[in-house]
Amino acid sequence: MKRKTLLCLSLVAMMMTGCADQMFVEDVSLSLILGLDLDQDDHLLVYMSSPVFNKEAKVKEEKVEVKAVSIRDSRELFDQTVMALTSGSKTQLLLVGKKLLKRKNWIDYIDPFYRDPKNTVTTRVVAVDGPVSDVIFFRPKDKPRLPLYLANLVDTAYRRNVTIKTTLQEFHEQTTEKGITASITEMKKDHKIMLTGTALLDEQSKYKLSITPNENKLLRILQHKTKGDFPFTISVPMESNGHDHWISFSTPSIKTKTRVRYDNHFIFNTDVKMRVIITERLFPFNVRRDAAKLQKSIEKKMQADFERLIKKTQTTGIDPFGFGIYARAYTYPEWKKVQNQWGKAFSKADVNVKVHVTIGGMGTIK
Amino acid sequence: MKKYAFNEITVMQYIFLINGAQVGTGVLSLPRILAEKAGTDGWIAIIIGWLCSVSASIFLVKAAAKYPEDTLYEILIRFFGKILGKVLISVYMVYFAFSAWTILVNACLYIKAWFLPKTPEYIVLLLFSIPTFVIARNGLRVLGRYSELSFYMVIWIPLFLLIPLKDGNWLHFLPLLKEGWRPVLSAVPTTVTSFLGFEVAFFFYPFLQKKQHAVLGITIANTLTILFYVFVTFVCYAYFSPDGIIEFNQPVLNLLKLIEFRFLERFDMVLLAVYLIVVSTAWIPYVYLAPFCFSQLLGKQDHSNYVIILLLIIIGMVFWLDPTWNDSEGWQKMVVKGGLGLAFVAPPFLWVYSWIYEKFRRRVSH
Repeated sequence: MKRKTLLCLSLVAMMMTGCADQMFVEDVSLSLILGLDLDQDDHLLVYMSSPVFNKEAKVKEEKVEVKAVSIRDSRELFDQTVMALTSGSKTQLLLVGKKLLKRKNWIDYIDPFYRDPKNTVTTRVVAVDGPVSDVIFFRPKDKPRLPLYLANLVDTAYRRNVTIKTTLQEFHEQTTEKGITASITEMKKDHKIMLTGTALLDEQSKYKLSITPNENKLLRILQHKTKGDFPFTISVPMESNGHDHWISFSTPSIKTKTRVRYDNHFIFNTDVKMRVIITERLFPFNVRRDAAKLQKSIEKKMQADFERLIKKTQTTGIDPFGFGIYARAYTYPEWKKVQNQWGKAFSKADVNVKVHVTIGGMGTIK
Repeated sequence: MKKYAFNEITVMQYIFLINGAQVGTGVLSLPRILAEKAGTDGWIAIIIGWLCSVSASIFLVKAAAKYPEDTLYEILIRFFGKILGKVLISVYMVYFAFSAWTILVNACLYIKAWFLPKTPEYIVLLLFSIPTFVIARNGLRVLGRYSELSFYMVIWIPLFLLIPLKDGNWLHFLPLLKEGWRPVLSAVPTTVTSFLGFEVAFFFYPFLQKKQHAVLGITIANTLTILFYVFVTFVCYAYFSPDGIIEFNQPVLNLLKLIEFRFLERFDMVLLAVYLIVVSTAWIPYVYLAPFCFSQLLGKQDHSNYVIILLLIIIGMVFWLDPTWNDSEGWQKMVVKGGLGLAFVAPPFLWVYSWIYEKFRRRVSH
């Protein structure tokens, strides 16, 4: 009998827990997108987009802009205007204006994401070329509400390596790790929203360089992150007549191997082994007979592309590839001396990329 | 006739009791503390710590095995006489009570910070104490069953840590012994203390059914602990960069925060709630042992009233003191100091003492 009453009591207690302090979804403004930017006078602007759970509201999305001193401060200001209590626990995207990205120590602003256990860290970090307000207040008719659209856009583009996807947690890794500099998704709004590639930041996390979607694929390969699709469309040099020879291929397998040695400066030798399947060819060519020739010209073209990208980063003194991690692992004594100015040391390094292409298939026609 | 016929524990229960007492909330911050001291070589220090704790454990079992039917209370009285023996056992009692206090406070702080920020501490502790009382008022056999059952219930937790591992980078570990042995050795005291908890075996030994397996049992318990520690540390070091990990207070929870399924976010909260079972197997033996010592001091059979008193004192103290994270860390340091004495110094000393004592007594009896 005693046991039964105890059981009933505990059951009731378990059921009752939800009654005392409940939180209706209508009372929460989930800031699904948070935007950070600077205005003309270099004041911090914080933007928020949150869904509205209400039948009477015509537009199911609230978008707010406030001038604040920090993200946490902006929350009080949001609460003054939005319908419900602002919560950062479901933030999907963090949009950062390029103007802010160029400012020193801007990453101090994202401290609450790491400090407050209620906030999530799987938020995608996105650089916006131009004012953030353009993106936030954009209301496309043919798309779902903006947070869903943008999150999906970044995720799918990342799968094809059009751009990179960096979550706040990964961003933290990249900014604290001395052997790599951060790289984040880049977005632009002209008349519609476009992913323009990847923004590369330097050791102080200031904006340095933008790369195109094509270069982003090369970046991913050099980072040894060869998951997802890597479709290429390139113009291969052929000795015959002058016009371009366009060829497209998918790469079912890419293997990258990096070795490092030190001889007054760092020397990196990276081998990229690719197996390609031709998906498109706009010029006559006998692949059955001259496969080796085609392989060679693809190799040559890719190698030149790799070298151009590496040169570009070296002149700006950044290492988005993470060669520094290899330098630390294999040449620790030398790395230790330069670890705090790795960008400078990397700009003096020799990086030799060798591409090996194997044509795995020419497709179903000749 | 056996003294504790109704409370005998099997070797398995013995193993899981010790293992349960060892693994608590410490492991959540262990990777960071080790990284601060020894960088990515911290895991080597765990192995050294394990060697220390296994040897101390063997001494402990050997010392206890001299008088297999006696609890530590009776052994101490036999060795040092009634007054000194009682004083020494009170030292153990205070240590156990204080350990129970720190573990409970620490667990409560975690729960409060992660998912019950508005609930007062004493209510959280009140909720902890009800199941604790239900178990700890019984004999050792119930405790053993609880520890064994909860081990099987939570054995899947490490599997989820494998999910972030796919983004890990093994290059973080290279080169081994980055700065030589010195930093590794400086981290050993930390790892040694993370094995604290096996001192409860002193009190459990007389209850063990098959005493010939005592050494094996305590070694397996220590080994289970080291496997868990090394595994967690490995995953953390592979995922977080060596420079990034030291910024997170509890890197393990940050790691779990990254796990997301389509239907479930914030896995750290789910796991922390389940992990409470693991932590409970750490505080319950202490909550049992402190009143157990007290009842022996008073020469009483039943200890369950003292369990209530202890839990009430703890709840009352929490109510008055309102412990902060810094307080809790300070108390943990005190427990560790006491634990080092009682778990690592006392057993070899007792073993040597018992040897001298036996010799001396034999000479007297001749």
